This record gives sequence, C-alpha cells and structure tokens, in this order.
Amino acid sequence: MTGITPATAPNRVDTKRFEVEALPWLDDVYRFALSMTRDESDADDVVQETFLRAYRSWHTFEPGSECRKWLFTICRNVFLRLRERERRRVDYGGDDTQLEALASEQESVASVGAHADVLSHVDLGPALDRAIGELPEVFRSAVVLVDVEGMAYNEAASVLGVPVGTIRSRLFRGRRLLQESLVVFARDAGLTARDPCEV
Amino acid sequence: MYLTETVAMDCYDVVRQLWEYLDGELTDESMDAIRTHLAQCRQCYPQFDFERTFLEAVAATRREHPAPNMVRRKVLAKLRKAGLEV
Repeated sequence: MTGITPATAPNRVDTKRFEVEALPWLDDVYRFALSMTRDESDADDVVQETFLRAYRSWHTFEPGSECRKWLFTICRNVFLRLRERERRRVDYGGDDTQLEALASEQESVASVGAHADVLSHVDLGPALDRAIGELPEVFRSAVVLVDVEGMAYNEAASVLGVPVGTIRSRLFRGRRLLQESLVVFARDAGLTARDPCEV
Repeated sequence: MYLTETVAMDCYDVVRQLWEYLDGELTDESMDAIRTHLAQCRQCYPQFDFERTFLEAVAATRREHPAPNMVRRKVLAKLRKAGLEV
C-alpha cells in the first residue's frame, strides 16, 4: 500500500501512460521551472512537486491533449505557491497594472532598426539570456513560453491562466524591454554610437 | 499605400502587426496582406528584418541543457513512493 486513495492512484495502465507521455517532458519542465525561479534549488523543488501533482492528477489529463502544456500549467501553479511562501526571494512585488505601466513608459525603442546590424553580427546569447532573466516575472513567463518554448498565444494563455489579449500585451512589452536592454548592452560594448542626447 | 487583391495595408498597420505576423497569429487574409506589403515596401522591410532577427536570437537562448541527474533521480524516487513503477 502506498497510502494513496484509489480515487487518486492511477491504475497500472495509466501508470504506463504517465511514464510514456509525461516523464519525457522532464527536461522541458525543468527548463521552464528554472526560467521562473532563476534558482536551481527552487527549480529542483518545483519540478519534483510538479511531477508528483501530475501523477496524482493523471486521471484528469485528457488523452490526446498536449501533455507538455498540461505539465507547464501545473509547474506554473507550483511556482506561484512557492513564490507566495518565499516572497522575500522574489523581486516582483507589484501587480500587472503597475508593471505594464512601467513597461509602457519604456515601450518606445527609438531608432531600433538602426541596431539591426548589431543583432546579426554579434553573439547576443549571453546578453539576451541575462536580459530575459531580469525581466519582471509576468513578462518573462510570456516571453519564455512563446519565444523560447515556441507556444502559440492561446497555449501560453492557457498555461498562465490569463486571456490571450493579456499574453499579447505582456509578450510585446517584454520584447520591448529586451530590445531596450540590448540597445544598452550594445552601447556599453561600444557596438553602436552613443545617443547624442545622453552626452 | 498598396492595393492588393485582398486587403490594402499602409505602413503603420504593417509595422503595428509585425510581431503577430512573425508569430503567425493573424488571419490568413492579414498574413497575405502583410506579406504582399513587405515584398514591395523598402521602408517596412528593414524593420521586419530586425524584428525577425531579434526573435530568432531570443529563440536561440533555448538551451537544451537537460535536468540534472540529481533532479531526475529525486523525481523518480518521489513517483515511486507515490506508486509509479519505474
């Protein structure tokens, strides 16, 4: 006996399905967890809890639906609970309205097209990686799900439990913030001319 | 301003929807209209090229680093304890 009630313990066939359909996504779930927690130890905890919950809720998974998206949704919920418990360790303390207002102030990246050469000729991987990590969490999740994990807007909306319009808004503002960071990176690295207004 | 067989779009509309175009999130009609516009407009194409390159760079940050073995072992141990036979 495992102590799990018959209502929640998957039967042997379901167990096999779980092993075949859910476990292969462990790397993806870990990557998503790490993108949210930005801390390997926390990601470790989130991934363990995600798979345990997924196993216990396996009877609610609809065969034929996308297992990765289902796991990401659980992962996101586990993360939110962890964040609630350890709020001091998270740098996001405002609500979406405040953050989006902040972002919209920075939405205009002047003459962004002028930096196109920088993007195509310089390895921006490390700078982008850091910039994504520094995005406020609401924007980071949208950017990671759509731009890094390749989800459609409606899939990302389902994972985050928000309307598609909210995903679109968070995604676009997150991208603008990233572009802003890249412009600063390029200037600091001497890759572009300094804005004359700054002198 | 461009007149096409489908929908005419001006530069403002095209640039405003570039990301949704690149994400494939527009209707077929709008996708066609923007594609047609970009093929003809020297003003919009550099912006399109920049945004495409930017999104490719973001996508490339996806690191294929697997979950550490320790995490994998912990997950499996937890699942076995819960009844999974792996």
